[in-house]
Amino acid sequence: MRGSAAVLRPEPQYASLDQQGDVAQVGMWVFLVNETIFFGALIFTYFLYRTFYSHDFDIAAKDAVLWCGSVNFALLVTSSLTMVLAINAAAQGRRRAMIWLLVATVALGCLFLGVKGFEYYLDYQDKVVPVVNYQAKPGEGPAGELFWFFYWVATGLHAIHLTIGIGLVLYMLLWRIRRGEITPAYFAPLEVVGIYWSFVDTVWLFLYPCIYLVGRS
Amino acid sequence: MTMETDPRRARALPFVLWWLILLALFGASIVVAFLSLGRLAPIIQFGIAAIQTAVLFILFMRLKGPPSLKWVFAVSGFFWLLFLFGLSMTDYSNRQGWPLTHYAKRL
Repeated sequence: MRGSAAVLRPEPQYASLDQQGDVAQVGMWVFLVNETIFFGALIFTYFLYRTFYSHDFDIAAKDAVLWCGSVNFALLVTSSLTMVLAINAAAQGRRRAMIWLLVATVALGCLFLGVKGFEYYLDYQDKVVPVVNYQAKPGEGPAGELFWFFYWVATGLHAIHLTIGIGLVLYMLLWRIRRGEITPAYFAPLEVVGIYWSFVDTVWLFLYPCIYLVGRS
Repeated sequence: MTMETDPRRARALPFVLWWLILLALFGASIVVAFLSLGRLAPIIQFGIAAIQTAVLFILFMRLKGPPSLKWVFAVSGFFWLLFLFGLSMTDYSNRQGWPLTHYAKRL
């Protein structure tokens, strides 16, 4: 797949561009099974400790900045919408719409990271950084710190995944689309990036109740 | 509700409507957190997250539509998660001295 749309041909092992695109999609789903197990193990650990140390978790989690997590939730779900609409625009030959929707997706992703960075700053001020700067709250047992270990590891890994997603969308914008390699005849690379992007969104769907909605009532 | 997910023919409006439904579910999840539902609250919240995930997987990530082989891997991922959770729980639920003794007094 090199050069302009006029020379689009499947790689030699595929019969058609459609078949090549289907294999690319299946390949991404295989990768996502690994990611599911990766984040699944992390969330399982959380469930385990939350079950056994629910009192400490309830107290510790009250310091999680609810508005930051909520704003980020809305940003990510919206970015999944702009992403899927960008893929539709690519498939329907609406190049300008595709580019602007992808720019919006990147902007929403960067906003997410910005809010997350600000939240990390607030967390540091609240002294909830295990090892570096941690102060247990009144009535909180030592297991409260476990909650914050989970918070930093889980949100950090999620932010790394999102940063990779932003890089992939930028690669599409600045390289593949600029070179005319994403066309209505072949848009599988963009579709695969979109699948990854929405998967990162689904991880946040589960991290959000784990972190921000604990012990609020 | 039938919805065209093939990107060559898909319209924007159904996706926007599903996006609004996702945000409404998100709002419901927050409301549940502030009601005194005890242990029921996280069950409802993770139930909502599961519904939202299903919407994203099937419509936004286009599990609906060809190639059907995608379903094999999506479903296998779900079962691997069940194995992970199930087998790990059989371990922890049968461990001696778990949870740690000083916490066990509270349970």
